[in-house]
Amino acid sequence: MIADATVAPGHDGQAVLVVRLRHENGAFDTVTLDADQARALLEECAASSAADLRGQPWRRLLRVLEQPTDRED
Amino acid sequence: MFDIVIRNGRIADGSGLPAFDGDLGISRGRLVRVGGKLTAKARHQIDARGRVVAPGFIDPHTHFDAQLLWDGQARPALEHGVTTVVHGNCSLSLAPLKVEHRPKLVRMFQQIEEMPDAAFDGAFEWSWESFADYVAALRGRVALNVAPLAGHSPLRMWVMGPDAQKRAAKPDEIRAMQDLLRACLEAGAVGLSTSYVDMDENLAPVPSRYAHVDELDALAAVLGEYGRMLQVVPEFYNTDLSVARVDQLAELSLAHGIPTTFSPLFDSAAIPDNVPRVLERVAEQFARGARVWPQVQTRPIDISFSLDVASLYWIGLPMWYLILRLPREQKLAQLRHPGTRKALIDAVAASPDPRRLDSLRVRDSRDTSLIGRSLGELARERGATPADVLIDLSLAEDLGVHFLAARLGHEDPSRIGPILANDLVHVGASDGGAHIQSFATYGDTGYLFSEFVRQGHHLSLEHAVRKITGDTAQIWGMSERGLLREGMAADVVIFDAEAIARGDELPARDMPEGGMRYVRSATGVDCTIVNGEIAWTAAGGYTDARPGVVVNARA
Repeated sequence: MIADATVAPGHDGQAVLVVRLRHENGAFDTVTLDADQARALLEECAASSAADLRGQPWRRLLRVLEQPTDRED
Repeated sequence: MFDIVIRNGRIADGSGLPAFDGDLGISRGRLVRVGGKLTAKARHQIDARGRVVAPGFIDPHTHFDAQLLWDGQARPALEHGVTTVVHGNCSLSLAPLKVEHRPKLVRMFQQIEEMPDAAFDGAFEWSWESFADYVAALRGRVALNVAPLAGHSPLRMWVMGPDAQKRAAKPDEIRAMQDLLRACLEAGAVGLSTSYVDMDENLAPVPSRYAHVDELDALAAVLGEYGRMLQVVPEFYNTDLSVARVDQLAELSLAHGIPTTFSPLFDSAAIPDNVPRVLERVAEQFARGARVWPQVQTRPIDISFSLDVASLYWIGLPMWYLILRLPREQKLAQLRHPGTRKALIDAVAASPDPRRLDSLRVRDSRDTSLIGRSLGELARERGATPADVLIDLSLAEDLGVHFLAARLGHEDPSRIGPILANDLVHVGASDGGAHIQSFATYGDTGYLFSEFVRQGHHLSLEHAVRKITGDTAQIWGMSERGLLREGMAADVVIFDAEAIARGDELPARDMPEGGMRYVRSATGVDCTIVNGEIAWTAAGGYTDARPGVVVNARA
């Protein structure tokens, strides 16, 4: 599930959302979302802020990640 | 008689060895004397007393591809002491490129590197299809040395046409790409660039991302014939994937005897174990004999935004984020509405960090007197809150004002300094010439000295010089550059070790057709010499010299 989510700067100067996942075995992993993905995740989770994402199931994040994005180097 | 003699300087020769006092003699584009006292006459004499004399800086990650064709001085890179740039990074180069593929490639450049139409449209004459003809178009035009990479994406487009963005290549197509890459390398390409990340203007993966491992392996084999570099953009936003790419590059490096480099790699408080984990794997692979150079930038990362777009900067303030996501006209109406405005201001005051807007700075505004000023300062002058000022300034220019939240990532010198000092880290990733309407990609070299030599003492002066000269030349196989040694190319920068720094980031309207970009001037750099000719001085500015060459590289 989603442990927390924080805003960080991306390589291109745009803000990104770093989502930290806690796995069932207790391990943590991070996934970085761009603005469109973050917006989609909020909608997927019916959340209005990053704080509301805590405790949401990881499958909702997976659905967002399956959509195209416009990451830039 | 010398062409140029630089007298009384403190010579940091790019090797990292202790600097020493002495003179430098230059003739016919070469260093002919390094050290000692020179009494012979010279056409130009430069007194470098109290100054450091170093090899010209080499920037290994730029996107000056188009700019070099209408600005052969790659302004303002020369002002910062940069005498050689590698361009064509991230799978994108302007050659080889068939005429019919030009519009598509330009749109990719615009999407990925945030370059405006004016940088391509009418700013220069497209006179090439082949890499050799592109290189010919650069010759005689450039004031600094260029080291072009061939981009994997145009390579695929040339061979596969529209299928380049649809499928893996067939064996005969891979062979055709190998032949095409060979021609590029023969014409002066310093390597191949590819990307696992970038998307085109339609949000489709760029052509290089459709390549299967056998295709990249075949192309790396060609690089091995020439000892040239493979540059890669890995999934830098995911540590596990970045580590996996390190392993993949290591296998290619070992199999074909090539150097590889990947970028970007940067630090963030949100993912504090990212850089340590990647560097740990890099060290393991170097221990096996692979060459996998991570490029790390010196400058911190800022977040920039206007209220025209709903930046994630606002996600911690749900009401702001909600309003800013509205369609434009509704958003403007809400920002003008007294009740909504009060609620927005109250939301900031009630948030866990009620002063978060105080330090935001105005980056760009039609009112140039506002540029660089913080919302906190402006609020005090106006007897308002920073949130009031933010809204007022935005409404006054139809949401066109840009703001900056500075140093939010890659910003902790106590973490970044040791990373930059690491012998396995390649200082680079400036992205010079890209993202020009979002932030300035110039001055990272000055920042290396001001922040990590003078301020943090993470590197000695000699070590810092070595990281951006001798090390870079060795990594890329630029055997004639990066060191002040007799017989080497006379690329030289003279600077004040106590003053060298990057200037403030400012908007400039110096693009073709008056387009805007962000730039930084240099502080503390006195003179930049390229192949024995003075290309720029602090006192006189740019000269008319165009001494740049396409560098030879074989790593």
